[in-house]
Amino acid sequence: MEQKKILVVDDDPDILDAVTWILESRGYQVVTARDGLEGLANLKSENPDLVILDLLMPKMDGFALFKELQNPSWSKYQDIPVLILSSVREEASRRRYELETGHELAVDDYVEKPMDPNVLLERVEKLIAKKTR
Amino acid sequence: METLNDSPITTEAEHERSPQEAALRIWLKVLITTRWTAIPVVIIASLVATRVFNIAFPTAPVYYICVFIALYNLALLLQARRIEARGAGSLVRTIRFYGSIHIVLDLVTLTVLLHFTGGIENPFIFYFVLHIIGASIALSRKEVYLLASTALFMVSLLVGLEYAGVLPHVNLVGFAPPLLYQQVSHILAVLVVLATALYISTYMATSVAMELRRRQQEVIELRERLLHERTGQLEKASIEIAKLEEEKQRFLHFLGIAAHDLKAPLTAIQGFLWIMLGGYSGELSDKQKNMLERSSRRITELLNLISDLLDIPRIETGQTMQDIKEISLREVVRRSLDDLRNTAKEKGIKLKVEIPQNLPRIQGSSPRLQQVITNLVSNAISYTPEGTVTIRITEKAKELQVEVIDTGIGIPPDELPQVFDDFFRASNVEARGTGLGLSISRRIVEAHGGRIWVESPYPENNRGSKFTCTLPKKNKGKKK
Repeated sequence: MEQKKILVVDDDPDILDAVTWILESRGYQVVTARDGLEGLANLKSENPDLVILDLLMPKMDGFALFKELQNPSWSKYQDIPVLILSSVREEASRRRYELETGHELAVDDYVEKPMDPNVLLERVEKLIAKKTR
Repeated sequence: METLNDSPITTEAEHERSPQEAALRIWLKVLITTRWTAIPVVIIASLVATRVFNIAFPTAPVYYICVFIALYNLALLLQARRIEARGAGSLVRTIRFYGSIHIVLDLVTLTVLLHFTGGIENPFIFYFVLHIIGASIALSRKEVYLLASTALFMVSLLVGLEYAGVLPHVNLVGFAPPLLYQQVSHILAVLVVLATALYISTYMATSVAMELRRRQQEVIELRERLLHERTGQLEKASIEIAKLEEEKQRFLHFLGIAAHDLKAPLTAIQGFLWIMLGGYSGELSDKQKNMLERSSRRITELLNLISDLLDIPRIETGQTMQDIKEISLREVVRRSLDDLRNTAKEKGIKLKVEIPQNLPRIQGSSPRLQQVITNLVSNAISYTPEGTVTIRITEKAKELQVEVIDTGIGIPPDELPQVFDDFFRASNVEARGTGLGLSISRRIVEAHGGRIWVESPYPENNRGSKFTCTLPKKNKGKKK
């Protein structure tokens, strides 16, 4: 089986490391980015199988990145699943995104920090399986 | 008061119909009506004089003059209606202008009429006084004095010209001696009486009119000032409200950032702890594992405390009630229990759910109510060593009632009143919680317009406790 590539976007280097270690323990290839802009650049260059996205970040935050992805110019990447990994409560994030954009935050999954490694791996596996199918 | 100085009272421009303007309109109407009454009076007086008292004088000119009065009165009437139709805008000047036309026309006509009805012989000569009183209603004192002088001058001129023979004199035959108009003492007496009558009535009438106008102006000013003050207060209040709202938003923004920055390091630590505990970084000794588990628990405590502390201002500023919508309480309970079922199972506690079919939906914040149910049920599980926790919903006339009943240790009676206070922890338990759970639940329920209370021991069981909260069926969400 070919190695799956996951892009993790988070401004906290410790979280990046923690998530990377969890994912690498299951043989995933991990690419990281420290903010939304870097995230978009890596998305283009790496074409990952899954994006794990933090919401509150400097420069371009997760909301802005996700909104940008809805733009037709990113249509090539739109079938890449997005998992939000944030310390913001899910319903609060959804409300904020709706207020700001008028659209539903149509992400594939949402995990609140702190993340249980087992739960995170389980969700990641599910999303990757769905994408491959 | 300073507001009065920088905005002089401009009643004419500000009001559709100022009291002053209204008075002037009435004045025009009074003049016109008086004229309509004067015409028959003149005709009847002439008829009575000639027919009843056999006073002889040519009546034809009198009738011509009456026709003339009728014609110009009609013209003035139409004109007054046209002014009336104009409606908005200041008409004060216009009406005063046309009013003076009325006055001048009357003055001239009255003099001419006097000439044809005996001049100095006619007692109606004193009717000029009425003319002056009519003018006092609306004109200024100076204007009325001027008018009185003009009237006196015209009468004197008429009498003088008749005396000098420049104008022919009409004798009221049978009423006055034919040469009365040549009798200087009579002429002077009549003129003096007329003059004094004119000036005294001018003085009296304008005094009254001025006083009335002054009071009218005072009323207007008072009204203006009150209006001004009220507008000022309203403006001030709305600025205050905007400022408060802005402060609230700033505060909430601050809280958002504070929450994130406080949680971020803890989240990272927790992440690493869980990686180690999950065995992702190699085997751990039992002691290491034990210490890491404890650390993780303390971190969880701290994270919960931060969440709870930040929840309170969010609920109190009404922020959580923004996502209020129609929700199913059954669904809320189901989600809460999904998270708690494992905990209950581990402790061997039975969870009993009693929710009637076709429970009506209510207006509420689903995540917040879930927080309440989760809090009540998890407390019940924690403080029940063995037995059952019952979650029961019943429909009342105006509200839904949620009861969480346990068979646990209960709450000491003297502590019951403080259960919903911030940082309260019962003395009969080894507290691990933040002491904020119930106080937050109370805030959430109250924000929904409901009530929450506790009974312990629960009378039916004679042990444990029963928490009850009500949620109104019709609720628009109380925004604080």
